[in-house]
Amino acid sequence: MDCHKAERFLLRSLDGKLDPEEKTLLQTHLEKCPSCQKKDREYRIILSLVRPQTVPEPLPYFKERLLAKLKEKDKTAPALLWVKWAHRAVALSLAAFLLFGAGILFFRPEEPREVSQTERFLLQDENPLGEAASILDQNKAEDRSMMLIFASVGDKDMPRRYRP
Amino acid sequence: MDEKELIRRSQAGDGEAFGVLVERYKGKVFSLAYGFTRDRVAADDLAQEVFIKAYVSQSKFQAKSEFGTWLYRVAVNHIKDYLRKNKRRMKEIPLEKAGDRALASSDLGPEEQRLREVEREIVQAALARLPEKYRVILTLRDIDGLSYEDISGILKLSPGTVDSRLHRARRKLREKLTGRLGRQGGEYGLS
Repeated sequence: MDCHKAERFLLRSLDGKLDPEEKTLLQTHLEKCPSCQKKDREYRIILSLVRPQTVPEPLPYFKERLLAKLKEKDKTAPALLWVKWAHRAVALSLAAFLLFGAGILFFRPEEPREVSQTERFLLQDENPLGEAASILDQNKAEDRSMMLIFASVGDKDMPRRYRP
Repeated sequence: MDEKELIRRSQAGDGEAFGVLVERYKGKVFSLAYGFTRDRVAADDLAQEVFIKAYVSQSKFQAKSEFGTWLYRVAVNHIKDYLRKNKRRMKEIPLEKAGDRALASSDLGPEEQRLREVEREIVQAALARLPEKYRVILTLRDIDGLSYEDISGILKLSPGTVDSRLHRARRKLREKLTGRLGRQGGEYGLS
């Protein structure tokens, strides 16, 4: 047995947790090893010194003092409960306010999109379908295409629009 | 009266039943607090606070563990909080100065008893300087004498962890004390 293992056995022996075989092994090692003998002595001394020589009694009327405090606590408990709930209400209101603020920031409506000239033109036209019909009525495919192109470009200047 | 019945009554609001439980456990809770503070008044205050906490949270106690184990857990957690909060306020006695008080005291009687007290104070100072987890486990096992199983239940650690942590704590304490006790004139001369 090496000294490392012997120390483990020593520590377990302080709690009486060694079986007879382990006890014999430790004893054999201790007889040959002055360093472990010293450790064994030191552990036992420390263990005897770590405990207070005497533990005093609690101060007089321990139970009576305690029960009086508990009675006092029971009296103030409803008020404390109210304060506790008030704190919770404040915290909840604050959380709701923050959520609302965050909602406004993240989900605010988009800025009104600027209407293209074509859209404006179509909106200004009293009968946009009439214009569409006039485009479709063209016999030549080139004319139709040109009219569609001008309509899609959304030329604001009405007179410049292609009219076959 | 049966403890389970006392607990049931106490949980139902019977103050007298809680009083009986206090009578049964006040010594153990006080002794645990005294093991950490070595001050009668501070230990008394701590024990009172532990019972108040236990009273307020007794509805959380379920009969999965022993009442004593649960109460010890409440006590250990409360004392740990106290030690953390008062770390700066509580003066740790430097190991070099530990024992001075006992040496200066004239009412200790015979020389041997006086030296023993000096050594006890040195060990106490070294214990107070250990990391909290080692201090707690040493107090539960080596001062209060609780079993591994009880410590395992109180600290919610596996028995294997209790074993290894306790051994590490004892090693650390011995390392801190090497050369100290002998220097203060102790008869054992740890060096």
